[in-house]
Order: sequence, then structure tokens, then C-alpha cells
Amino acid sequence: MTLLRAQNLTRRYRLPRTKLLGPAPQLTAVDNISFDITAGQTLGVVGESGSGKSTLARMVMAFETPDAGNIQFEGQDIHALKSAELRRLRPAFQMIFQDPFSSLDPRRNVGWSIAEPLRAMGMHAPERVAEAFGQVGLHPQDAGKYPHEFSGGQRQRIAIARAIVTRPKLLIADEAVSALDVSVQAQILNLLMDLQDDLGLGILFISHDLAVVASICDTLLVLQHGKALEHGAASDILNNPAHRYTQSLLKAAGDRL
Amino acid sequence: MFELQNMTVRFSFGEALREASLRINPGDRIGIVGESGSGKSMLAACLMGMVPDAAELTGTLGVDGIDMTHASEAHWQTIRARRVAMIFQEPMSALNPLRRVGETVAEPMRVHLGLGKAQARARVSALFKEVGIPDPDSRLRMFPHELSGGQRQRVLIALALACDPELLIADEPTTALDANVALKITDLLVDLSRTRNMALVFISHDLAAVARATTDIAVMYGGDIVERGRTAEVLANPVHPYTQGLLAARPDPRAVPRDANGRRRRLPTIPGTVPPLYKLPQGCRFSGRCAVERSACAYVKPAPVGPRHATCHAITQDTL
Amino acid sequence: MKSLPANFTIGAVLVALVLGAAALSLVWTPHDPTALNIRGKFAAPSAAHWLGTDQLGRDIVSQLMAAARNSMTVAIVAVFLGGSIGVALGLLASAIGGWVEDGVMRLADLGFAFPALLFAIMLAAVFGPSLTNAVLAIAFINIPIFARVARASANQVWTREYVLAARAAGMNKLAITRDHILPNIAAAVIVQATIEFAVAILAEAALSYLGLGAQPPASSWGRMLSEAQTLIYLAPELAIYPGLCIVTAVLGFGLLGDGLRDVTDPRLARAR
Repeated sequence: MTLLRAQNLTRRYRLPRTKLLGPAPQLTAVDNISFDITAGQTLGVVGESGSGKSTLARMVMAFETPDAGNIQFEGQDIHALKSAELRRLRPAFQMIFQDPFSSLDPRRNVGWSIAEPLRAMGMHAPERVAEAFGQVGLHPQDAGKYPHEFSGGQRQRIAIARAIVTRPKLLIADEAVSALDVSVQAQILNLLMDLQDDLGLGILFISHDLAVVASICDTLLVLQHGKALEHGAASDILNNPAHRYTQSLLKAAGDRL
Repeated sequence: MFELQNMTVRFSFGEALREASLRINPGDRIGIVGESGSGKSMLAACLMGMVPDAAELTGTLGVDGIDMTHASEAHWQTIRARRVAMIFQEPMSALNPLRRVGETVAEPMRVHLGLGKAQARARVSALFKEVGIPDPDSRLRMFPHELSGGQRQRVLIALALACDPELLIADEPTTALDANVALKITDLLVDLSRTRNMALVFISHDLAAVARATTDIAVMYGGDIVERGRTAEVLANPVHPYTQGLLAARPDPRAVPRDANGRRRRLPTIPGTVPPLYKLPQGCRFSGRCAVERSACAYVKPAPVGPRHATCHAITQDTL
Repeated sequence: MKSLPANFTIGAVLVALVLGAAALSLVWTPHDPTALNIRGKFAAPSAAHWLGTDQLGRDIVSQLMAAARNSMTVAIVAVFLGGSIGVALGLLASAIGGWVEDGVMRLADLGFAFPALLFAIMLAAVFGPSLTNAVLAIAFINIPIFARVARASANQVWTREYVLAARAAGMNKLAITRDHILPNIAAAVIVQATIEFAVAILAEAALSYLGLGAQPPASSWGRMLSEAQTLIYLAPELAIYPGLCIVTAVLGFGLLGDGLRDVTDPRLARAR
């Protein structure tokens, strides 16, 4: 079942003028990208800084509007929705950010932060918050603590709890394990896999680290300068990379220590 | 040349480094591997004489046989840049945005080596060429923001090499860079170490980069060096439970991601998180997270065993 | 335990002194500050009149205390009024962005172009001089200051990932402003308010000195100063006492504001 379908996405940014007259130069951050995400499956997006992968995430989250193309979530064009309609749809697709130190409000206890998406839906459901704590391997008694009292890995668990508390269908993870130590990174990747198997989540997993993406994704999209170099089943691409760039990423990921 | 012996760095809230010993000879390429809080950056600070004043040092740090453990800042200033230099993780913030990169690199030459303007400029140009900056004479007039991340890191390497140090410490030099650029910077550091017979201490959490850059390795956890040896041997056949866990937890892009039942494989993990400094166990720092832990581990500090100097109670001469 | 910066401590003591005197004047002053006693004019300091009396025989200590109360009231009301409107505008500009933000900020620029005194004179010319008009004038000049501070701080907070997370959660901009933006800019606004307090006290003194602020018989440091002006050779202490009070209050709030900024700025906290 197709959860999310992106068709011919293109996003351009205007750069600062270099000349007084004439049009400002443009940067095409995302260039004609199409992909599908199926329920229960992970699409991995790998690329370096400037490849357009974060712009892609922001468009899927409807924080940004594409200049061309569209994104359909369960058949609805999310960028055509009115802002109130979009807010009603948001509980169904949630995001995990890169930096667990800045994705939680330092002035709010973590129970408050996890309950925020529920409040946005007009719900008061402490049992759902407690359940989310359990799902990510934390104790509901931790709800009264503040972000600085947790380690990086624990904060990322809290961020994941906030993302799944609304029981979403799609999770967007933008460099969600990049800021973590290797041993903690593996814990969080396993947690995401467990949650996906339990809840049937579709995941858009974005990272610069091919090894990390490879461990979790079913299909893979390799981005360079906003263009899709390769797109297909992850095992095919990893075992038989068609593009030199993908080969060099594999090499950098340390296929052999 | 540089030798740390039983160096302990103690703060009021805990020990950032515990009885660390490390010998660095000319041309050595040593990797220091560890996660955040492992003490790897404190080890680098010791070698640079830049340990915070609040810390209490025990043990010795010898530079050419002279004990520098409690040397004055003035004494260290004669050592830094000329004997030991350092490059950092973030190439943007390490360069003054208002100065042309050529001036930045020329400054230590003029201060420490007393070179004139023209001499220094010629040397900067030669250095830029050595670190692989194309068209050095025009690049040295540029400002940091006009250069790419990789070029900036090369400028910082040139800055570190300005006074021909015998030891270059690279603290996470590739972490902020894209994968392909990181590979090139790593290879550059290896080349420089070889051609200059300069020792390289390569600090990183990235095992692949350390494998590529170094011949010897020290694995750190919670302020202890838990295992050391030839890089290839340690990574191929780790003996300390922490090293084993760390290597296993690394995702492998070539691994088959699904088992026979079509279920995705889970990654092996080290349970728990690195405790903060003030909560580290008294004995083996890794106790509480270790799979082969014994009752004494949390209280008794393990002595280094065998050729790997592995600090683990589960390892004896017999098991090696 | 981290030690507090010296400017914070000194500022806090001076402010406590002034606020204490103002608060005390609500319930007690040595004498009625407005009671005339022509026969007892220019009295030297004594047990009955600690700092003596003025040209109309009024007790100086009592006047200074009552004036402190007036000054504080004017400053609090004006800064609170101007600050509230300014912060609201700044938050609005930051939340909506686009032409609304541009519009609000250009209006703020326009506000900056108005000298407070000129504005107060204008108000006085139209509505007659009064303490209320002084308050309004001071409040008015505070609006653009707070609008700028609030917008600049809020724009920073809007880029934080926890705000993005709140948007992803489906919170609307009003709720995000209430839940995340306002609590996280509060420190910057409070620091600014403390500094503007000092400015407001000075402005009130200046307006009253010009006769555009507190009207007789209400006491005011500025008016005491202007009344003492003609007697400066005869009784210089009549000008010195209110002058010292103004210096104490302005210096106190200024130092306290600086100190608060040092305490709340994490970059400076790390440097200590």
C-alpha cells in the first residue's frame, strides 16, 4: 500500500544577486525527484551536504512548498491543503530531527514535550504518553525531568516517543542517528526497526552515512546535487552500485576495515 | 620523543583520564578511538599542554626526556607549533573570518621562526602546494568563506605544519566533512606523515577513518586506554569486550539486512549509555555495560594484560 | 556554586534601596512630603528633618521618598505598557513574517526617529502637561525597542528544531508562540526591561524637570531639581539630593540589567 508518493519534486532557491541588473542566480536544491514510500517499509535517502536531502525532508513535512511536482500522502496533495486541514493531517506523519539537544525545548519537561502532538490534536491522554515512554524503552516516571538530565541517546528516544505518540503512519528521520555515538546509534536503529515492525510505519530515513542507511532501508535513493543518481531496491544498489559516486560512498563507509 | 606515563587528569567531579601511557616516536601513526566522554580529547590536551587549570595531573609527560607535566605556559609556547601542532574538527570556526588565509598561516612562521614577509609568503605558498591546494598563490589571498570545507581543512593542516612540527594531532579531522572529502584528507595526513617523518595522532570515533590513517591504535573508554596494538590486528581481532562491542555495533553496508525469515537483522548493541564522568564505576569503567562482567569488575581496576595491554578482568594470559 | 557578577550584586543592592524607599513611602514618611512650613525653611539636617527642609520648609527625606514612589510608578507602568505592546508586535512580526514583519519593523524604525522629549512636549501641547502624558510618552518610545528585541530573539527561537517539531506536531503559530517562543525569549526581554527602567527613570526626571511630568503638589526628583535650580548658590544641597537619587536609581537598574544579561547569557556563563 503506497503511503506517500512524491512526483517530479523540484525546489529552487534564489541566491544573492551577483549583478545589480538581471535575474538573481538560482540553485536547484531538489531536481525532479520521484519516489514512493510503502507502509511498513523504509526508503533510505543518502547524500552529502548540499545534495538536497534535507530540502526533501522539509517538503515531505510540508514546511516548504515545491516549485514543481507534488507530494501525496494517502492520495491527498499535502501542499494543496489549507493550513487547518494540514494541521489535522499532521499527526499521521511525524519527524525525528538530527540533534536531540536542540529538538527538545530546554524549558519544558519531557513529558510535556511528548504530549505536545496530542495537545495539538486537542487530546489529553496521559496513558498514550506513558505508552510512548514504554515503547522507546524509557520509564514514564521520567516525564517530569528536563532534557538536560538525559544523555544524547535517551533524548533521541524521547524525540522518537514524541513522534510516535500520535500513532503516525509515516516517520521522517533526518540524520536521526548522526549525532550519536556508534554504540548508541545501533540501539536507536534497532528501536526504529522494532517500532516499524510493531506499528507498520513507513519511514523516510535520511543520512549521509551509507552504512547506517543500508542497515535499515528496503529501497534506496542516492542523491547528488539534487538529482537522483540511483533509485531502487537497497540490496541491488549496495551489491551492484551502478554509479561511481555510490561506489565511493560505499568505500567511505568502510566496506572493509 | 613524546611519552605519557601513567597520566591521570583528575577534576573535582571525576577522572577524565586514568593512568594513560602512550609513547610516540617520529613517524608513528597512532589512532585514538573512543566515543564521547572516552577521554580521547583530554589525551590530546595533555600532549598540547592545554589541560584546564582546574585539573590535577599525576604521572609524567616527557618531551625528549624532559618532564613537561607541570611546565609553565611560557615553556609550552616554545613547544607548541614547533614541536607539536593540532588540527580541529570544525574547519570554519578555527579560522578567523576577517583574515586572508595566507596571513593566518604566515603568522606562526613570522612569530616563531622570525621569517620576513616575503619569506613567509613563499613558505605558505609551498605549504599550500604540499597540502594539495591548487593555485596556491591566488588561494592565499582568499578569505575562509571563499573556500570549500575540504579546502579550509587543508588550510588548517598547512597552518599546523607552518613550523614543521614533529607531532601532528588531528582531533576528529574528518567528522565535519563529506565522505569523499574525508577520504582525501585522511590520505593527505598519511602522506604528510610519511614524507615528513612526522608523528600523527589521529583521534576519531570513526573506525574506518582510523583504519585507513594509522598503523597503531589505542581504544579508549571512560578515560582508560582499554586496548592497544597494531591497528589491523586490533580491528580484525579485538580482545577487550568494549572494542568487540564497538566493532560489532558498526553497521556494515554489505551485510545482508534480512535473515532467512525475511526479518530485518538487528544490530548488535552495547547496552546502556556512557555514564557521565562523575558516575563512572571505580573499577573497570566499562562495568555495568559489559557482557562478561564479574562481581569484582565495578570495584577493582583491571591491570593491563598481554601484548594488547587490555584492561579487563576476564582476560588472562591463558585466554589470550 | 557560581559567584554572581559584581555588577549584578551592586545593581541589586542599589535597586533594593530605591524600591525599598518607594515601598516604605506608601505607609510611612517622616513627615507629610507636601506639608509647608515657611518658618522652618532651609532648616539644617536634624533629628526631626534628617536632610533638612527646602525653600518652603518641606521635609526633604519625605519628598525624596515620595518622589521615588512616583518615579518607580511611572517607570513600571511605562515600561510595562510599552514593553507589552512592543513584545506583542515583535512576536507577531516574527510569527507571521513576510510583509507583516517588514511593516512592523519599518514602523519601529519610524518610532525610533521620534525623540521622547519631543513626543512628550507634543502630548503636553495637545492634552496639557500631566504625569499620565509623561507615562504615555515614555511607553511610546519603549514600543519599538521591545519590538526589535522580541523579534530578533523570537526569530532565533523559530529556527530551533523543537519549534519545527511543534509545527510537525500540528501546533498553530499562536500556540507555538505561547508555548515555546515566549518562554525562551523571556530572559532577553527581562534584561531589556531592566535597562529600559533606568532610561525611563531618567526620562521621567527630565520631563518633570521641564514641567511636563509630575504636577505640583506631587513630588518628583526632576521637579525638585528644577525648583532647586534658582537656589543653586543659596542651597546647593537641594539640587544634590535629588540628583544623587536619580544617579542611584539609574545606575542601579543599569548595572542590574547588565548583570542579568551576564547571568542569563550562557556564552558569558561559560567564560566565568
